[in-house]
Amino acid sequence: MSDLDPKARVNLSKAVVLIVETTKHAAEMLGQILKGFGVLETHRCVSAAEAEKLLKSKAFDLILVDPDVKEGDGYALLRNLRASMVEPNCFAPIILMSGHARVSKVKQARDTGANFFVSKPIAPNVLLERILWVARDKRPFVEAGKYIGPDRRFKFEGPPPDSDGRRNSDLKDPLGDAFDPNMSQNEIDDLMKPQRVIV
Amino acid sequence: MSVVRRFRPENRLAKLIATPGGVTIADALQQASVELESIRESCMDALDEKLRLLTLLNAEPTTPARDESMYYISNEVFGEAGVFGLEELSSVAYSLCTMLDAGERAPTRGAIIRVHIEAMRALRHPDMAGDKTARAAVLAGLRGLTARYAQPVDEPLDDELST
Repeated sequence: MSDLDPKARVNLSKAVVLIVETTKHAAEMLGQILKGFGVLETHRCVSAAEAEKLLKSKAFDLILVDPDVKEGDGYALLRNLRASMVEPNCFAPIILMSGHARVSKVKQARDTGANFFVSKPIAPNVLLERILWVARDKRPFVEAGKYIGPDRRFKFEGPPPDSDGRRNSDLKDPLGDAFDPNMSQNEIDDLMKPQRVIV
Repeated sequence: MSVVRRFRPENRLAKLIATPGGVTIADALQQASVELESIRESCMDALDEKLRLLTLLNAEPTTPARDESMYYISNEVFGEAGVFGLEELSSVAYSLCTMLDAGERAPTRGAIIRVHIEAMRALRHPDMAGDKTARAAVLAGLRGLTARYAQPVDEPLDDELST
């Protein structure tokens, strides 16, 4: 499944990573995987409260969070972090790692401001691929209403063939061919030209 | 109408990754597997403890709080077993999560939950470790049980995405 180039080099030795997991063992597993990737400094938390405290005192280059973390709400932790505007952590790449996806949590997950979502169980190649992806993520940050985080829109090419799509704005029927002739270049130029308007 | 602000903060991770040195992707992945193996035993003990806890919780009277605790433990089993390649155990744990999340109060619910826990314990038995066919059979039997409780996530997304 992997698009990783085995010969490419990756240097994570100076990256400081925060792991927020549901259990000590889950955090340890991720820590070991990251150690294998060459990460020398990881900080592990198994409660949202502990993570919040750490985020106020230490700068991180990457944050991995399971939203089902104990003693608090992982989603709120991330939303508050983005909204805090305390640099550099508020802009740090965040990978949300979810286990079983509860139907009631899907929208909440989308609005946390995370850069990427990964489904558990997490294999090393998948994690590395996602880390490289968030490092190369070119999307701008967006602040709109209560949302602060990477632009949630990826390239939109319409709903998949033979489906009605999932967005309310997805067109349900085939568009068909244009029935008016194409505009001439002069007509297009006229649209751009400033016009003096007399009211 | 809300005001939309777009900006590009510095991505420190991108700079760090690109600095000279480091390891090849192949070496990083191989070393990650080695590091994971070094903690396999303690993680397996922790998994067995979670299955023991699930058995104990299942013996208690059914309450939303009990189901919630079982859901979280089962979710942990799902994530942690899968990392070590225990795919069938991970799948059964996921199936149990689906069952507990559905909130369905069918008369057979208790029995189905019990079957899931027994299946997970059976899958951890040493005799099952080398018998892929038996493990696959356990999984196939359970899949039919939860299929009717699974709720597809087909809620249309609203227009917030247009921000």
